[in-house]
Parts: sequence; structure tokens; C-alpha cells
Amino acid sequence: MHQSKAKQKKFIVLISLLFILTIITFIISLNLGVVRIAPIDVFKTLMGQGTARDQLVLIDFRLPRMVLALLIGAGLAVSGAILQGVTKNELADPGILGINTGAGFMVILFIYFFQGSMNSVSTLGIFLMPLFALVGAVLAAFLIYLLAWKKGIDPVRLILVGIGVNSGFGAAIVIFQLKMNPQDFMQAAVWLSGDIWGTNWKFVAILAPLILLLIPFALYKAHILNIMNLGDQVATGLGIHVEKERRILLLAAVALAGFSVAAGGGIAFLGLVAPHIAKRLIGPKHQLFLPLTAVLGSFVLLLADTIGKNLLAPTQIPVGIVVAIFSAPYFIFLLMKAK
Amino acid sequence: MVSLSTENLQIGYGDKIIVENLNLHIKKGEITTIIGANGCGKSTILKTLARVHAAKSGIVYLDGKMIHKVPTKEIARKMAVLPQSPEAPNGLTVYELISFGRSPHQSGFGRLTDNDRQVIEWALEVTGLGQFADHPVDALSGGQRQRAWIAMAIAQETDLLLLDEPTTYLDMAHQLEILQLLEKLNKEQSRTIVMVIHDLNHASRFSHHMVALSKGTIIKEGTADEVMTPDVLKTVFQIDAEIVKDPRTKKPVCLCYDLIEKVPELDNRKIMNF
Repeated sequence: MHQSKAKQKKFIVLISLLFILTIITFIISLNLGVVRIAPIDVFKTLMGQGTARDQLVLIDFRLPRMVLALLIGAGLAVSGAILQGVTKNELADPGILGINTGAGFMVILFIYFFQGSMNSVSTLGIFLMPLFALVGAVLAAFLIYLLAWKKGIDPVRLILVGIGVNSGFGAAIVIFQLKMNPQDFMQAAVWLSGDIWGTNWKFVAILAPLILLLIPFALYKAHILNIMNLGDQVATGLGIHVEKERRILLLAAVALAGFSVAAGGGIAFLGLVAPHIAKRLIGPKHQLFLPLTAVLGSFVLLLADTIGKNLLAPTQIPVGIVVAIFSAPYFIFLLMKAK
Repeated sequence: MVSLSTENLQIGYGDKIIVENLNLHIKKGEITTIIGANGCGKSTILKTLARVHAAKSGIVYLDGKMIHKVPTKEIARKMAVLPQSPEAPNGLTVYELISFGRSPHQSGFGRLTDNDRQVIEWALEVTGLGQFADHPVDALSGGQRQRAWIAMAIAQETDLLLLDEPTTYLDMAHQLEILQLLEKLNKEQSRTIVMVIHDLNHASRFSHHMVALSKGTIIKEGTADEVMTPDVLKTVFQIDAEIVKDPRTKKPVCLCYDLIEKVPELDNRKIMNF
């Protein structure tokens, strides 16, 4: 069909464009920061010829953070895309379903109970906190699934229960936050609004394989996602094991969101906006739509992080806030343009 | 050819039993229509036959095998299902929609083979949608959209087709168009068709076998001449119907009808006081 060929062409153009934009942002981001490093020095340092200071700033701090931004962006975006697919609801994303707040709640508990006692034990803290976040995300997802289960999962019920669980965790977060000392409160607030803070290669080493495994898995399920978009009855008629597939896909979405949130905090909105824009650009076919969503998510988060780091430097704006500030108006614009 | 039958089916939602003790035998190569009042369990029965809804007890046999023991993909190669007013995601083209009908014959990735493409082209052609292949489904008219869904179902290449109210929301001409398409599929490819429709005269005209339901039990089944009688319609719909022969098709048609229980008189005095 010439139509599908044209779409494929459009897809290649779009994804190449996004790749180029991401690379440009990446290069600019390498130069910018509290310590500015000239492009030539960046190049030298990357080749292993830079000064010790440049080496430290670039290789040890700046680069892992940027790589994390790319991974988290793709992870959250694809997670949102899967959730929107299996719930057949365009408003589903890890934030709305309570996965972010579930993770947030555990992180708040962690900060509240342990932070004071292990302020200096930073390495342990760095790895424990994301672990807590991950546990929180899975806990929230499990709770939602359990409460929404009624001889199978009805997508609408799933979303409603998710919103309920979300506000429940939200309330619990506020209770603990109010009892914190100002320093912990600040840390908690920054985490909750989304902040890539684990700027560490070890972190990348843990996160990269997980996310880079889950995204191809989602792609492998693209055909099934396409069919599930036609509704449960049609999908069953076409020989899809709807309940089983939905469980597997939800698990994948939760894992993606959980890992991303663990490293990036409660970044809201990206999981909602990236799939929306991608779908508008390329249509509902998941084979094309999912990769575009992933690259778009990476690009947006890297851009937002670069802006957040530099706009009010040396003060850093949490990346989640930047995402929200820029994507909310665009999102509303898109909705107003739609019929 | 594939057969479909039920044995002592009991179907319901939650604690509510809707259908009890249903023994239905769908005849191969025929068009069977299920008729009955709203809420009598027609759609529920069709959903249970289609394994979309699980029965409380009893068995559905597909090809002599208990349907809940057969892998769902294998069923999808024998039986296609079209639910009531299905919805396609925005932007999905007619061609893409029809291509999903091939998925029971494919491996996981959904890559289309040459044979798949031929079947899709054929489905486009018989449903008269050739020129709309690249159009988004949501941009089509109601009749075209329904034909696109039917095209998807027939692209599944199954002996059995189950359709829930395929003509609802369509105007008179488009209703006929859909039914004639189904009749053609039945005649030329001897596909077995089971459908629920509301228009009694259409049911009479197009089906070999009619099943009249009331409150989940079969009141009468048989040919149109056997089922379209004032007595049966009285029990099934609580109507007093005038049945005549259609001068063109020689099938029984319901010429006019009245409610047996009159609508209660409006009490004007009460309305005024209110």
C-alpha cells in the first residue's frame, strides 16, 4: 500500500529529525553548566586529553546525568504509551495512575526515617533511595491492580482506582512532609517534582540494561497493542488472550515507570505528552508510534534538564517542573486544535 | 465445515441469571438469526458463543470440542466475531483495520504475507471499500464503517461469522446492503452466519433459521414461516402483529403491530397538580 509506505517514509524523516535534535541538544548541554567548558575542550576531554577538572565535571558529573535523562525520558514515555494502549484511555500515564506517587511515598518515608542518620553515608543512600522508589512504584501498581480486579480488569475501573490510589498516596506524602525538618522537606520537594539526581555511572549501569530491554519488549508487543486498541471484544475475537496480555503489558509499563522514577523522581506529564505528540505525528500504529515516543521522550527530557540546569544557574530547576512548564501549554494547544 | 452448539448453558452477570438451560444448535452453512426483546439475552448468548463472556455453567462446543479448552487463537481461525458498534482508534486506516483480521493466521509480529495481502484486497473488493483503503476509519460514514469492520471479520477467513446487530444505526438502504453482503458470503462461500438483529422483517428475509428468545429461553425456533407467527411474536414481544407474505420475497413480514398492553393513560389531573 502506498499509504503505509508514505507513513514509513514520514516515520524515518521524523525519527531522524528527532535524533539530530537530540544530538545537538546533547552537544550544547555538554558545554553548558555552572562550569562552562568550550567545545574544543569538551572534544579534548572526551578523547581523554582534557584537564583533570574538565575530566571530573564532564565525565563524572555531566555525562552520566545526560545519559540518564535520555534513558528516563524514553522509559517514561514508553510506559505512558503502553498504559494508554492497554487502558484505551488517552489520559493514562504513570503519574495519573499513582505509580509516581507510590514511589514518592516510599522515598518520603526513606527521607523521613533514614536520611538524618545516614547523611554522610552517601553511596548507600544513593542506591537505597531508588530501591525504595522502585518498591513504592510496584506496591502502588499492585494495589491498583488488586483493587481494580473484578473477574478481570475493566480499563475504566483501573484508571478510577489509579486516581484514588494516587490521591491516597499524595495525602500520605503531605502528612510526612509536614513533619520533616526544613532541609529534608526541601529534598523531598525536589524529588517529588522530578529531578535527575543520581549522577553516577553506576546508576547508568543499572538502569540502562533494564530500560534498553523493556523498550524492545514493548516493541515486540506492538502488534498486540494495535489489536487491543480495538477493544476487548474484538481483540478476543481475533484470538488475543486479552487478560493475560494486559497483565504482561501493565507489568512492563510499571517496571519502566518504576525504574525511571527511581532515578528521575516524580517527573509528571512526560508519560502523557510524549505519546500524545507521537501519535499525532505518526498515527496509532504501535510499530511506528512506540519508537517515535521513546526518542521524543528522550529528547524532551534532555532538553528540559539542560534548560533546568542553566536557566537560573547556579540554582537548578527540577527537570519535572521544566517539563510541565513547557509541555502543559503545548498540550492544551494540541487539545484545542483537535475537534 | 465448523459446527457450533451449546449444552445446558447458564449465563449471567454477577448473581443475576440471564439465560438458563440453553441448548442451541447452529446449522452449518446457514444464516441463523436470534430475535427477541431488549434485555432478553440475545447479545449475552452471542458473546458466550464467541467466548467473550464466560458461561456460569454448561458447555459451548466448537467443532465438537469444548470451546474453553481450545486455544483462543485456534478458535479465531474458525470463528470471527463482530461486537455491537465497535470503535477504531483515530487515524487507523481501513486497510490497517482489515489487516488485523489476518492476525490469527500470523506469528507474533503481524507481518503481512503475500497471501494476507490478497485476502485483504479481496475483503476490500467484496465490501466495496477499494477506494477507501487509505482512508481513516473514523472519517467514514456509518455504513462504510460497518462494512470496514465486516471486511476485517471476513478477512479472518473463518467458516463461522458471529455478528451482534450489524445493521444498527444504519439507514434502510445501508441495512439492506450489509445484509445482502452477508447473504452473498453465505451463498457463495457457504459461510455459517449467526447474528442478532432487531428488524424482524430483515431476519425473516435473510435467515434460514430463526431463534426467538424471551427472558433467556427459546420460545420457538425454525424457518421464518414457523417463527414469524402472531402467537410467537405475542409471547416474545408482547405485540399483536399482522403477518402477511412479502409479495417479492414470499417471506412472512410483519405488516403492522400494536402493543397488547396499552400505554397507561396520562393522568392530566396529576400533571396539573404537579
